[in-house]
Amino acid sequence: MTFFTVVVRGLIRRPVRTGLTLLGISIGIGAVVTLVGMSWGYEKSIGKQLDVIGIDVVVSNMSGGLMPKVFDETLQDKVAALPKVADTTTVLMLMLSIEDAPMMMVSGREWGGFTWEKLEVLEGRLPKDDKEFAVVLGKLAAEVLKKKVGDTVQIEADELPVVGIVDGHAVVENGAVILSLSVLQEISSNQGKVNFIDVRVPEGTPEKEVMELCETVNGLFPEGRAKLASEVVGTSQGYRLARAMSWSTSLLAIIVGVLGVMNTMLMTVFERTHEIGILLAVGWKRRRILYMVLCESALLGFLGGVTGVGLGALGLKILEFTPAIRGLLEPDLSPKLLLTSVAIAVVVGVVSGLYPGWRSSRLSPSRALNL
Amino acid sequence: MNEASKGAGSVVYEARGLKKNYDGGQVAALRGVDFDIREGEFVAIVGPSGCGKSTLLQMLGSLDKPSEGSLSYRGRLISALEDPSDYRSTEIGFVFQSFHLLPTFTVSENVQIPMFETGLSRGEREVRAHELLVSVGLSHRLKHFPSELSGGERQRVAIARSLANRPSVLLADEPTGNLDSENAAHVVELLLKLHQELGMTLVLVTHDLGIAALATRTIRMKDGRVVDETTPLTHAS
Repeated sequence: MTFFTVVVRGLIRRPVRTGLTLLGISIGIGAVVTLVGMSWGYEKSIGKQLDVIGIDVVVSNMSGGLMPKVFDETLQDKVAALPKVADTTTVLMLMLSIEDAPMMMVSGREWGGFTWEKLEVLEGRLPKDDKEFAVVLGKLAAEVLKKKVGDTVQIEADELPVVGIVDGHAVVENGAVILSLSVLQEISSNQGKVNFIDVRVPEGTPEKEVMELCETVNGLFPEGRAKLASEVVGTSQGYRLARAMSWSTSLLAIIVGVLGVMNTMLMTVFERTHEIGILLAVGWKRRRILYMVLCESALLGFLGGVTGVGLGALGLKILEFTPAIRGLLEPDLSPKLLLTSVAIAVVVGVVSGLYPGWRSSRLSPSRALNL
Repeated sequence: MNEASKGAGSVVYEARGLKKNYDGGQVAALRGVDFDIREGEFVAIVGPSGCGKSTLLQMLGSLDKPSEGSLSYRGRLISALEDPSDYRSTEIGFVFQSFHLLPTFTVSENVQIPMFETGLSRGEREVRAHELLVSVGLSHRLKHFPSELSGGERQRVAIARSLANRPSVLLADEPTGNLDSENAAHVVELLLKLHQELGMTLVLVTHDLGIAALATRTIRMKDGRVVDETTPLTHAS
């Protein structure tokens, strides 16, 4: 028999209660995995999109909501004239409700800009020019909207024909409705406005020089920010808000988990007062009793964490296929998230066991034995 | 057994003016008790229910602290011990009337429980538990749970557990109180064997004057005081 045997016996003596507590922690950790996985997934998806397109610097005004505020497209010329700028293109990106889909990315792209380059046409064609009132759908967007080439899509008050289905090689690209910038500006009443200038720098430019370029752009565009592509999502206030909300909700789930485990461990300690009295009477040190209770609650947390990660992964898979989210993000199920979640569960277990453990270690052996 | 701490006939316990009050002094369980217990003695503490004999034994076992007075073990004040668990773990073995076995652990595991504090390896703990259970005649019950044993067998497991860390003193609180006469006789025989063969100091609380008659000395208590100390003229062999 090892000390671990003692710890396990403590948990399995009340299997139903242990099981219910495990379920409680699992649901809490499942919520953490799902919410944080969505938040991280959004960041990762946008990052992948920028990477696929080959954008080095993004100029935008991120002080708005989930999508940045619009600004005058003439800023592009000033940015393009700067040294270390190889190419620029403008985008007007809007989050709109399209037919039955509650939220969809609609991307108006400057005709001839490099954001069109990586779109692989699966069916139909791209718009003929920047004046054609037509859209192409990313393959996920086509699935979500149940559209094929020849159908029409209603954006705001306009019906636009679908002329092509494309593979953008990133979830966010594939979930988008793509059209020419001038058409989107017109139908959304944003003439002359964009909300992104995507910048490419010459290949091999050191990061320090790219950072200097960002600073120069910031001087030209005080109300906006030029950011490295890798940092752009993190600076979005909308994203920060979503991230804060996901962590806040997770925190609530964690607090519920802590209370659940603490309640279980207090009940366990209360029920086992006599047993703890015996352990003290046969010479167990108080710190070993504390350690035993902490190990039990940590094990409870660990098992709940592992089960919760499974539940969370399942939740993410389900969410990934819900129409409201499909194509907007690719949920993150990275080992970092899974390990973080299990670590949180173990910490929840240990923290929850501190008071019951301390209380049990303070028991008077004679009183405990007489109960 | 802790040979280093032993000395022939030396004083093991020394109690002076020992008092124990409960409920803020409203209940006096011990009202000033004085005695010495020497190495290798078999001392029986007798008296009517509520006279304080079990309270006294709990203090000898450092399960409770005196309200007043002093109680020393080999010259060290028990109440002043920084960590009484060391004392409970290595110096004494405790046998209780209601056995106090852990129901979710097997017989062998119950005997191993006190050994966690001694740094023995898992293998050493298992071997020692097996030896102890053989010595109390329970080698066939190693994997059984306490609920599967008779009262006498449970008490023998408890005795084996009390010997787990080879103590020099055995404290027994009404060890036959919950047993039928046949099982009681077996348990007494076992305790006497430990006392005689291993030279353990045995302090036993009992109602049974027949068992007390086997002791080398009897401390008679009444109303929280020692009223008589006798050495029986004859001892059962």
